[in-house]
Formats: sequence, C-alpha cells, structure tokens
Amino acid sequence: MGILFTKMFSSLFGNKEARILVLGLDNAGKTTILYRLQMGEVVSTIPTIGFNVETVQYNNIKFQVWDLGGQTSIRPYWRCYFPNTQAIIYVIDSSDTDRLVIAKEEFHAILEEEELKGAVVLIFANKQDLPGALDDAAITEALELHKIKNRQWSIFKTSAIKGEGLFEGLDWLSNTLKSGGG
Amino acid sequence: MSGHDSKYFSTTKKGEIPELKEELNSQYKDKRKDAVKKVIAAMTVGKDVSSLFTDVVNCMQTENLELKKLVYLYLINYAKSQPDLAILAVNTFVKDSQDPNPLIRALAVRTMGCIRVDKITEYLCDPLQRCLKDDDPYVRKTAAICVAKLYDINAELVEDRGFLESLKDLISDNNPMVVANAVAALAEIQENSNRPIFEMTSHTLSKLLTALNECTEWGQVFILDALSRYKAADAREAENIVERVTPRLQHANCAVVLSAVKMILQQMELITSTDVVRNLCKKMAPPLVTLLSAEPEIQYVALRNINLIVQRRPTILAHEIKVFFCKYNDPIYVKMEKLEIMIKLASDRNIDQVLLEFKEYATEVDVDFVRKAVRAIGRCAIKLERAAERCITVLLELIKIKVNYVVQEAIIVIKDIFRRYPNTYESIIATLCESLDTLDEPEAKASMIWIIGEYAERIDNADELLESFLESFPEEPAHVQLQLLTATVKLFLKKPTEGPQQMIQVVLNNATVETDNPDLRDRAYIYWRLLSTDPEAAKDVVLAEKPVISDDSNLLDSSLLDELLANIATLSSVYHKPPEAFVTRVKTSALRPEDEDYGSETGNSESPAHLADSAAAGASPPPTSSGSVPYAAARQPAPAPVSPAAPVPDLLGDLIGLDNSAIVPVDQPAAPTGPPLPILLPASTGQGLQISAQLTSRDGQIFYSLLFENNTQVPLDGFMIQFNKNTFGLAAAGPLQVPQIQPGTSAGTLLPMVTFQNMSQGPPTSLLQVAVKNNQQPVWYFNDKISLHVFFSEDGRMERANFLETWRSLPDSNEITKDFPGIVVNNVEATLDRLAATNMFFIAKRKHANQDVFYFSAKIPRGIPFLIELTTVVNTPGVKCAIKTPSPESAPLFFEAVETLLKD
Repeated sequence: MGILFTKMFSSLFGNKEARILVLGLDNAGKTTILYRLQMGEVVSTIPTIGFNVETVQYNNIKFQVWDLGGQTSIRPYWRCYFPNTQAIIYVIDSSDTDRLVIAKEEFHAILEEEELKGAVVLIFANKQDLPGALDDAAITEALELHKIKNRQWSIFKTSAIKGEGLFEGLDWLSNTLKSGGG
Repeated sequence: MSGHDSKYFSTTKKGEIPELKEELNSQYKDKRKDAVKKVIAAMTVGKDVSSLFTDVVNCMQTENLELKKLVYLYLINYAKSQPDLAILAVNTFVKDSQDPNPLIRALAVRTMGCIRVDKITEYLCDPLQRCLKDDDPYVRKTAAICVAKLYDINAELVEDRGFLESLKDLISDNNPMVVANAVAALAEIQENSNRPIFEMTSHTLSKLLTALNECTEWGQVFILDALSRYKAADAREAENIVERVTPRLQHANCAVVLSAVKMILQQMELITSTDVVRNLCKKMAPPLVTLLSAEPEIQYVALRNINLIVQRRPTILAHEIKVFFCKYNDPIYVKMEKLEIMIKLASDRNIDQVLLEFKEYATEVDVDFVRKAVRAIGRCAIKLERAAERCITVLLELIKIKVNYVVQEAIIVIKDIFRRYPNTYESIIATLCESLDTLDEPEAKASMIWIIGEYAERIDNADELLESFLESFPEEPAHVQLQLLTATVKLFLKKPTEGPQQMIQVVLNNATVETDNPDLRDRAYIYWRLLSTDPEAAKDVVLAEKPVISDDSNLLDSSLLDELLANIATLSSVYHKPPEAFVTRVKTSALRPEDEDYGSETGNSESPAHLADSAAAGASPPPTSSGSVPYAAARQPAPAPVSPAAPVPDLLGDLIGLDNSAIVPVDQPAAPTGPPLPILLPASTGQGLQISAQLTSRDGQIFYSLLFENNTQVPLDGFMIQFNKNTFGLAAAGPLQVPQIQPGTSAGTLLPMVTFQNMSQGPPTSLLQVAVKNNQQPVWYFNDKISLHVFFSEDGRMERANFLETWRSLPDSNEITKDFPGIVVNNVEATLDRLAATNMFFIAKRKHANQDVFYFSAKIPRGIPFLIELTTVVNTPGVKCAIKTPSPESAPLFFEAVETLLKD
C-alpha cells in the first residue's frame, strides 16, 4: 500500500528518477562536478580508477549520477554503463586545446552507440576559470556539435571550482527530461 | 533450410543470469541487495556468475554495510577471472579506505589484499600506505596483514614502497593487537624471502614481551613463534625471556601453551644453570598434562608434540607416565600415540606398572593396538636391561593365551630380545616351538626360522622343525625364503649330519635353479661356494658374532628432531616431517640464483599462491571476528596444489621481446634445464654455423628448442626457419626470433610449434625435415626425429576401469609387442616419475612370477589413446612393451618414444 502511494505521488509531482552518465577525458573535472552537484562544495580529487555514483535531487528529479573514470585504460569499459541511460553529461577541459580532437572522437563514438540512441546530451565546457579556456562557441565548433542529428543537446560554459553554469545545465536537463526527452 | 528457421535460435525465455542482471540494475536498493544475495548464493553452490561482474561491482558504492560486504565477497571470488574489469572497483576501494567508519576502511584494505590481480595492485598501494598509519588500531592491524599478502603478489613493490619499514614501525605500536599482526606479517614475509627481513633486536624484543601480555590469544601465538626464533645473546638473556613467557603456560588456549613450550624449549638450549632447567621442566609438565584432558583431536596433536619433547627432554614428563595410560574409550589414534610415549617414558622405576598396562592392552580387541602393545613390551625389554626378564615373563604369559596374532607378534619381538641379550633367555625356545604350526605371517615365520637356525645346537629337533618349513619353500615370500636358506646353512654348519646335509641340498637347489629372485639366488650361490671350498671359513662367516642391537626404532635423527622442535605446534610437528617435505613454497631466487635478471621480473609475478592466499581465503569478511587471521589457516597452509611454476613462458616472453637478455652467452643455453640439445647441423657442414635442436613439450605446448652457435668470422642475422610436410603436421607457430649472433657466441630460442598444419600423407614416420636460412649463408637443410612423447597430452590419464574397458574393446589385432633387450629398470619410482612427467600415466602394477608388470596410459592429439603394458624384472636387462591402440600404424613411433624415455 505504501509503495503504491509513493508511486502515485511521485507521478503527480513529477518526481522522476533518471540515470545519468558523466563522461569525458581524464582530468576534465567530472568528479569535481559530481561532488559540486551533490554536496555543493569543491572536494580534492584523485584520478578516478573506476567510478563514482551519487544521487542528486534537483527540480523534483532524482538523478542517479555515474561518474566514470576518463583514463584511456578505463574508457573501453564505459559501455558497461550505457544501458538504461537517459542522459549523458560530457565534460570538456576547455583549456586543454591539444586534446580537443581526442575529446571529439570519443564524443562521436559515444553518439554512435546503439544503447545510447535515446539519451539526451549535455555538454559542459568546463574550466572556464582558467586562462586560455575556449568558450562554448569554440567548443561547439571543435566538437562539431552541429553534426548531431535526432537528439536533444545543449552546451554550457561551466567552472566546477567556482560552481558556475552547473545548475543551469541541470535545469536544462531536468526540463528536457520532464518534457519526455529522455 | 529456409530463412524462417532462424526463429529456433531465438527464445523468449530469459535465463537466470539475465534476470539477475536486471535485478542488479534495479533502481530500488532492496531489490539490488536481494539480487546480490542471489548472486552470492549461486556463486557458493558453484554456478559461474562471473558474467555479472560489472553489474555487481556497480552495487559496490553503497551505504549499506551488508551489501558492501557481499559485493566484496563476490570480488574476491571473481576478480581473478575478470582481471580487466577488476579495475572498475579500484576507485571504490580508494574511497572506502577513507571512509569515516573504521570497519569499512579495514574491510576495504583487507579485500584489496585478497584480490590477486596484477593490473590493479599498484593502485592499491596508496590506500594501503594510508591505512598503515590509520588512527584506528583495527585498520592498522588489517593493513599489516595486507602487506604480507601484497608481498606474496609483488615483493618488489612492497620493498619499493617502504611497506617493510612501516611494518617494522608497527612493532612499536602502542596497541598490542597491531604489534601481534605486524609480527605475524613480518614472519610470513620472512618465510618467503631469502634475505633477512625480520631480525629482532633487543628493542623489538622488549616491545614484543610487553605486547605479549596484553594481546589476544592468537596474537600471543604469533609473538611466541617470533620469540622462539630469537637467538638470545647469552644464558642470562634467555633466562629473562623465559621468565617473562612462563605465565603463558597457564593459558586456556592450547595453541598458546604449545607455542610457549616451543619458545621455552628453544631458549633452554642456551641456559646453562641446571637448577633453572630443572625448574623449567617442572613448570612445563602440568600444562602438557592438561592438554591431554581436551578433545581427542587436540590430545592427538598434543601427543605428537609430546613425543618430540620427551625425546629431547625426557625429564619433563618422567613422573607423569600415568596420564599416558590408555583409557578404554580413547580413539585408536590416541591410544597408539600414548603407547609410543609410554615406551619412551618407561624406566626401571615404573616398568612394573607399565607392563601391567601393556599386558592388559594385549588382550583388547583392536588387532593393531594389540600388536603394538606386544611390540611395546619387547621394546621395553630391549631398552631396560634390568626389566628384560619381567618383560619376557609377560610375553610368555601372552603366548599361552594362544591368540594367533599375539603369538606371532611375540615371536617377532622375542627374536629381537635374543639379539639384544644373547645366551640369556634361550630356555624359552621350547615354549616358542609349541606354537610353530600357528604361524602364518611372513615376519613371524621368518623370525621363528631365524631363532631355530641361530640356536640349532640347543634345539634337539631343529632339523625336523626346519624341514616342516622347507616343504612350502617355493611358495614362501622372499624374506622367509632368505631366512630359511640361512637357517638351513647354520643348521648344517652346527650339525653336519646326514639329515641337514640332505636338507641343504634341497634348499640350495630350490634357491638357485628353481627361483628367479636374484637376491635369493646370489645368497645361495655364495653359501654354496663357501661350503664347497672351505667349510671352516663358512663357519666363521655364517656363525660370526653379531653386534648387539638397541632399541632405536621410532627415534628421530637429532638434526631432524631439532628442526621439528623448532616447529612445535605446527603441522610439521604433527606429521614429524620438516615443513619443506610437504609445503610447496617457491623461493624463486633460491631456485635460480644464476639468472637474477629473469628472477626479479618473472619470479614475483609468478609466485604461487600459498600462505597469504590461504590466510586470505580463511579470513575473508566478516571483520568482526577476533582480531587476527585464523591460526591454522595462517600458519599452516594445506599442501599447496600449485607446483613451482616453470619459468618457460616468461623466458619465452623475454626472448620474443628481443631485449638484450635474449642474447645468451655460450655457457648458458636458453633452456636452463635438461641435457644439451643434440647437434643436427655440425659446424663442418654449416660452414661454421652449428645448430642443435630438439622438440620439447612444456605445459602442454610443444616447442622446438634451438641453439645456434656461430663459429664463422662474421656476425649472422636474419634467421628464418621452415619445416617440411611431416606426419604430425608440425609447423612453426611464429617467426624465428634469433638476434644477431656475433662470431664465437651462440643464441638459443624456444620456438612455439603448432600441429596438423602441413601434414604429409602415407604411413607415419618420425622424420622432420628442417630448413634454416640467414642473411649471410645459403639455406641449410637437416633432419630431425620426432619423438612421439612430446605429443603425449595431459588428459591421457585413465581410470583403472576405463583402462580395462578400453583394453577389452580393442581387437587383439591392435595389440603390438616389442622387446627392448638392452634396457634396465633400476629405480621403479624414478622411472614412473619420469614417465608421468612426459604424460605417460601409471595406472597399476602387478607381480607375475618374479616379473613386475606395469600399466600406463597416454594420449596423443586427436584423442588417440595408447594403453601400455611394460613387463620387466627390476635391475635385470630386458623390458617387454605391449601396447593396444586404435591407431596401430603409429606403434613403431610409439616404441621409439618409449625406448628413449626408458633409456635416460
């Protein structure tokens, strides 16, 4: 009985659950973003060999956020997490211009995945606090985002350290998911 | 088949695994937990659920301790089968090792140590380092044990990261539990290393003695074991240590008691003052006696240890013999051990009591026990001269009750008593002779015959008695025949009358012409020749005075006793075998000191699972169990099933990797073991290039082992190899990897081979034609012989029943026989071992007349079995080999292989 009520209420108030993957090259700031979203503060992190998973409640949506390690050695295992994913947050180190090409290739490889066909994509052009960081337009260009077809996507300028842009992105994500995008 | 049939390949039914997978990914925590429980249950009953690895690992980051423990359990089990995916768990370990809850931190560090996956080992060093310095003692002590586990996986890493120093620091920890576990870890590391790692100083000594009084019982055991290895500087220090440790003798835990006894015995060796020693002996007696009131299993362990202790220090229990008297309801294994100790403790003072006991035991129902009791009486007689007469009286009383096996056993020991006290007790021979007809056991018969022969001059009807045995001479076992032969000769020498003369003819005839036993025949010929050349000399030889015997049965060699005493309270002291006799442990550098370069790399990664592993398996969660790894598991691993890993694969890797170490100097061929390879292309034919090669089989893979020697004036490079079509389709599995060979040097390689690649038609032959070229010389051709035994596969072992069935099912036309007249089997054990090493498996053995018949099975690729029967007389040239196989055309090749195998 109790479970039934919770379910009814959650559907009434739009309390949805969503599974989200945070992907990106190593040192892009994925883990920092995750904990900034979850706890609201900057934690010191070490390279993630494996994954982190946390639940973030935002705008009546319970996000189950999976932050996966970005090392070359771990990227092949991203696919283990693809099934049932509603959204992807792809994090770019906007100051690391040298590796933008690799970031682009990984990104498009993800979009090709059959299991992620229905997932919406949110791109964080992170590390805007650093000098020499490219802005969202430049990143859009570098990642060839205009090539994305049949998928809802958006890009935000963020700085995980300063906490800028993250919740704007999450706003977009929750609205898109609520409107049935996921 | 039409395209519609594809529907048969798809099914709507989902198996258990996909169902579990779905539940593991459920958004509800409870459902996930239930699913993990189901997975663990499946794992426990032996189902393979390794395919759910990522899904289970995804449940790892949870607040729920129970769920976390279950996932860890899963990881310990399956990380090895999914080494790549195991990396996904690393981050969670790192996080958990920083968790605010010390239980979780300890759990993480413990599990990390149990995961033996090279790829992730280095990631675990940082968390381990942190945990070694943790605020919580429970975490520190778990980390200490983890260092020992890590050392087993990668010793170099442990040393590089300074974990050994951290461990040594932990000995000074203020928490006794941490100290005990650090000691345990260091001791274990020391056991696996040749270098001195854990050397106790007077500083550590005082730390340990302080911790001893405060830590848990199992911690005390570890500390006591470490202390017993400490060599005290002088008698005074030894006395001091012992004094601090003596209170442990009162501990309720028998492991602590035994370890304390061990430690005290070790230090006692240094103590010179007799007063102190006597005092200590007095103190050790009551705790040892108390052990005998525990459960029978513990009693047994205690008795085995006491057996060793009384051999070194009989005074400890000299007054306690009564506690070793057998109770009617003692299990037989306890009774047997008690008997052994009673014999050791028997003295002139207590012998009457002891004999009363023995006599009673000799009337019990268990035959083995009765026999041992009778023997015990005999051994006491031999040991205690003054009591010998009383012992004999008891033996005679026992003979009178006419129980067959008692009589026989008594006769065996009386023979020994006669040897020990010659010309003293012969008056009882008459009584013995009364029981002559009842003897049916070879040993008793042989003893009786010896007695008759030895005392022929005092037995009036000795010739009649012997004659009664002679009738069945050909049917008797060998050692009865030998005794009969000698006894008859003695009789003849003592009473050279007509009767014995006839007898000696019969015996000598029987023992020379009629027998196939070389021992018997040789002895008979010697007697014959002696008697025919010089009967007086024969008398001097045959009737010579014999040295007096003493009772040394069941006494251990003193160096072995030393070693066993140092291992009291371990399996070693229960088996009465030194640890290395039953524990396989690879100290890599000890085995291969000459190739350090390989050793440092391969040895560590390849070291087999032993101590740490079994400790790990035993000590997997829960963390709430008493502070230390279980004693038995940590101290005494089950005899490790892992045999020392052959260095071949790594060596091969090095060679193929073509690093400099592949250029092996002349005196160090590539395959470090085994005889030199046969030369197939002599330098004279190869314009200075000499090639030696042979097919070998290692770990089920066939290699062509090659050695190139460059005796030309120029460096040779660009070696390539090609094999002609052959019966088994042998071909190179990869290119030949030989570096440039400078003049005057050589290089060896192991070339992996594949079979059934380019097969030739026609009847099977052993010919293998090889072509080798290099950049400087023309192509060289040479021939090699394929020996079939390199193909024998590991699955060739057959059960007896299966063997018989297969033998019967094959038609007789498939049976082929061949004689190898020149081959001698000298050492059966060694031969069987050698055959087993080449996958020719021993099945059974039987005796046929004087011949031994052995049965073996072997299998070559494509599942063709060979059933083999070898008939031979040990130590005599000539082996007959009969085989049955579905492929009789390979028989000639098979015989060639068997001949080579038996030859070397």
